Amino acid sequence: MGEKILMKGAEAIAEAAIKAGAMAFFGYPITPQNETPEYFSRRMPEVGRIFLQAESEVAAINMIYGAACTGTRVFASSSSPGISLMQEGFSYIANSNVPCVVANVMRGGPGLGDIAPAQGDYFQATKGGGHGDYHTIVIAPHTLQEEVDLVLKAFDLAEKYRIMVVLIVDGLLGQMMEPVEFKETVDVTKFKVPEWATVGQGDREDRIIITSLDLAPEGLEKMNLHLQEKYRKIEEQEVMVEEYRMDDAEYAITAFGTMARISKTTIELARSEGIKVGLIRPITVWPFPSKTIENRANQVKFFFDTELNAGQMIEDVKLALNGARPVYFYGKMGGIVPSAEEVLEEFKKHLGGQHE
Amino acid sequence: MATYQDIVSKPTPLAPGHRMCAGCGIPAIVNSIIAASDKPVIVANATGCLEVTSTIYPFSAWNVPWVHLTFENAAAVAAGIETAYKALKKRGKIKDDVNIIAFGGDGGTYDIGIQALSGALERGHRFLYVVYDNEGYMNTGNQRSGATPFGADTTTVPAGTKSIGKTQWRKNIVEISAAHRIPYAAQAAAHNVVDIYNKAKKALSADGPSFLAVLQPCTTNWKYDTALTMKYSKLAVETNFWPLYEIENGKVHINYKPKERKPIEEFLKGQGRYRHLFKPENRYAIEEFQSLVDEEWERLLKLEESGAKL
Repeated sequence: MGEKILMKGAEAIAEAAIKAGAMAFFGYPITPQNETPEYFSRRMPEVGRIFLQAESEVAAINMIYGAACTGTRVFASSSSPGISLMQEGFSYIANSNVPCVVANVMRGGPGLGDIAPAQGDYFQATKGGGHGDYHTIVIAPHTLQEEVDLVLKAFDLAEKYRIMVVLIVDGLLGQMMEPVEFKETVDVTKFKVPEWATVGQGDREDRIIITSLDLAPEGLEKMNLHLQEKYRKIEEQEVMVEEYRMDDAEYAITAFGTMARISKTTIELARSEGIKVGLIRPITVWPFPSKTIENRANQVKFFFDTELNAGQMIEDVKLALNGARPVYFYGKMGGIVPSAEEVLEEFKKHLGGQHE
Repeated sequence: MATYQDIVSKPTPLAPGHRMCAGCGIPAIVNSIIAASDKPVIVANATGCLEVTSTIYPFSAWNVPWVHLTFENAAAVAAGIETAYKALKKRGKIKDDVNIIAFGGDGGTYDIGIQALSGALERGHRFLYVVYDNEGYMNTGNQRSGATPFGADTTTVPAGTKSIGKTQWRKNIVEISAAHRIPYAAQAAAHNVVDIYNKAKKALSADGPSFLAVLQPCTTNWKYDTALTMKYSKLAVETNFWPLYEIENGKVHINYKPKERKPIEEFLKGQGRYRHLFKPENRYAIEEFQSLVDEEWERLLKLEESGAKL
């Protein structure tokens, strides 16, 4: 076990990627994640690995694509507008079935927006973002320790399924400091070149081809069916969710990332007033923990979804419930982060005077 | 010819109260360029220091029509404005002539915006593109750019025991622009307001795209005293690190030739980003810097002498 170190989120994620065996980092300046490339620029040469600052996010994601084709562990980070620029690359990477991990330190949007914390990229992250029928695995940590732990998990999932894994954190988790412990350091000397990697034909009978192109519709359909099969498997096996104080809950809050963190305090405040409320916190927002939510439908009176956006994840909560229970919403936009008390106040509006 | 007094006495398109760093030369650059226009001006401004500090919500420091756009598309938006303007003029819906000016930093020009810039220059839109060149991504905290000079310490190419900072020479953005066969491309520096003004005048009278690169020493990330911006701008020119020159219809003309070129050390010393170069083990880098500067200057002189079209 390692010791606890006080670190900034944007730097902790970089160190976690290094400990997880990221051999190359590609990025481009954008606030609030500049500390991530800056950290890599110092550390990667120390460990004999690659840091490369691209000329744009478009270039950075395609460098990721190129490097990932060789079967190397690669990592990129950016923030909302930069992630938007990367979307074409996301789509190509999806249909080319190459693994990589990308972090999105979300800021207020749309457009240039601001550099304050937001969760407005949920739709973009979970529903595609780029063109075509594809998904990335999307992980939303709510503490720095969880962020650090999930980076290694993200690489493992990426390689297991040959898929891109996106870590969505917001500016708050990127800029705050917390003690973190790095539990494991991957021995990169043990890395083997995967069979699918394009590293030359060698003694193989066939050439290795990585592509997202098939001009014959039947061929492209086959590629799509392969992707869909992979996605169904991921939905079955890789959902991560936390249920917090749900055992005796009469109401459920649904939230991810920073809002889940705040909601935990809201729940303590509510319970001190005798209101039995719990939290369902998707850790993977894709695949989404629909079953967990559905399973609580009969137990709770209503669901209360809270996000740093106009209401995005709430659509998935409603789909999971299929009308079985009401779902209320409270959100803030523009980089405003509500306090636990504000969330409680909004939550109580739906109690109909029962707990006044 | 306009004097310094004439230029600074004109109304300023950039109002006082903007939030640029103390000692920043950007306002002087922007004001003297727009002052050179005898027609109404429309400004397209890429994300960067100028945009962030001049439009902090709910305020704006701009006294001229101004549009903010993505980091990489100042030239594209300017091209769109010019196209719409031409169409409206043709249909008689607009009578006045205007000048369209795009402003971008070096990150938004040399790197992420070069595609849009190249496209707009090649298509021949009538607009002026200005890069205020502070030699790095200064708004986001001093990351290296294609404009960052050799040997500079940045947060993404940090200098240390094993590194002198950036090892590449900067791109020659003026020649890249001129290579599009545009009528006017020039290089100016923050301290010489009259030169900036004259170049902007020529650029705005050109029948087609024009390009202006203006050196903008950055007190925050070059790390020097806020009173010294103009001194460093001047030293950049007197050491031949940043020659004042123009390329008019392909022909090079150098506007200022120092009687005695100062050694590059005079420009480097006192700047925090070059402090490490003065360590005995890094002196070789200063020598290399000097020979790069001399080589480029000699090349420029030859281009001018030959009179050949670029």
